[in-house]
Amino acid sequence: MNCKKAGVLISASVDGELSLSEEREFLLHLSECTECRVEFEDAKKTKMIIKEKIIQFKAPEALIVSIMQLTNFNTKEHEESLLYE
Amino acid sequence: MDKPDPTRQTKTRTKKESLSREERQKQLEFQNEAVVHLNALYNYALHLTMNPSDAEDLVQETYLKAYRFFNSFERGTNCKAWLFKILKNNYINRFRKNSKEPGKVDYDLIKDFYHSIKDTRSDTSESESDYFHSLLHEEVYQALHSLPEEFREVIQLCDIEGFTYEEIANMVESPIGTVRSRLYRGRKLLRAQLEGYAKKYGFNNDNVQ
Ligand SMILES: [Zn+2]
Repeated sequence: MNCKKAGVLISASVDGELSLSEEREFLLHLSECTECRVEFEDAKKTKMIIKEKIIQFKAPEALIVSIMQLTNFNTKEHEESLLYE
Repeated sequence: MDKPDPTRQTKTRTKKESLSREERQKQLEFQNEAVVHLNALYNYALHLTMNPSDAEDLVQETYLKAYRFFNSFERGTNCKAWLFKILKNNYINRFRKNSKEPGKVDYDLIKDFYHSIKDTRSDTSESESDYFHSLLHEEVYQALHSLPEEFREVIQLCDIEGFTYEEIANMVESPIGTVRSRLYRGRKLLRAQLEGYAKKYGFNNDNVQ
């Protein structure tokens, strides 16, 4: 495997989504190529940085309440419609 | 399995009681399986619509539909992925098919969110002299949102939500190979953006390690 081919596989490799044969070849290349190893480490960091730095908001209280009510309401409605059929 | 005792109950009562028990069970399962993903769903909706009130509507619709069709959810599969798919379809139906524009993109509001919310995670790695760690939340957010939607979407689903390629492929209705190449290309663009921000802090490529 050359650097060009390895470079394309880096993205999927940080996700653990390479096929077994791809992964074997890829790791072999990494073991003998410092440049690609650095690229690989950077790619892992970029993935981590997205996960870490993108703030996950909490759903507003009102939304939580209404989702809970939604299911409760449905139950009642369902119950009644079946009761009076 | 408890069978209703015919000597004790009328037919109607039996039906009502067994039904409500069933429904209560469904509700409990729904809460354990589906409602636990409320925050993730809200965030996804927020990223899609860029507007908090549209996001709330979208999440509500999604849960309404999900509850109604909960029986068709394949037990043992990823419920979060199932919900995301429903939300995405709702989004397309609401904002795309009728070529109805989403509510005004509320960049200021989203920016305010970022300012008002202090990250509660203790960033122990922050001390590393690594240019990535000097990036601000807002900058990473902006970099992500500067990408074409097809790239942003897969990065978000993969890196933030942790879905597998197969789950993402199913969600965006594209082959796995497409997901894979979108991630590859999207990440290239994203890195270029992030490196642009990093330069601002005086880091150059020699510091990148
Ligand atoms: Zn190489």
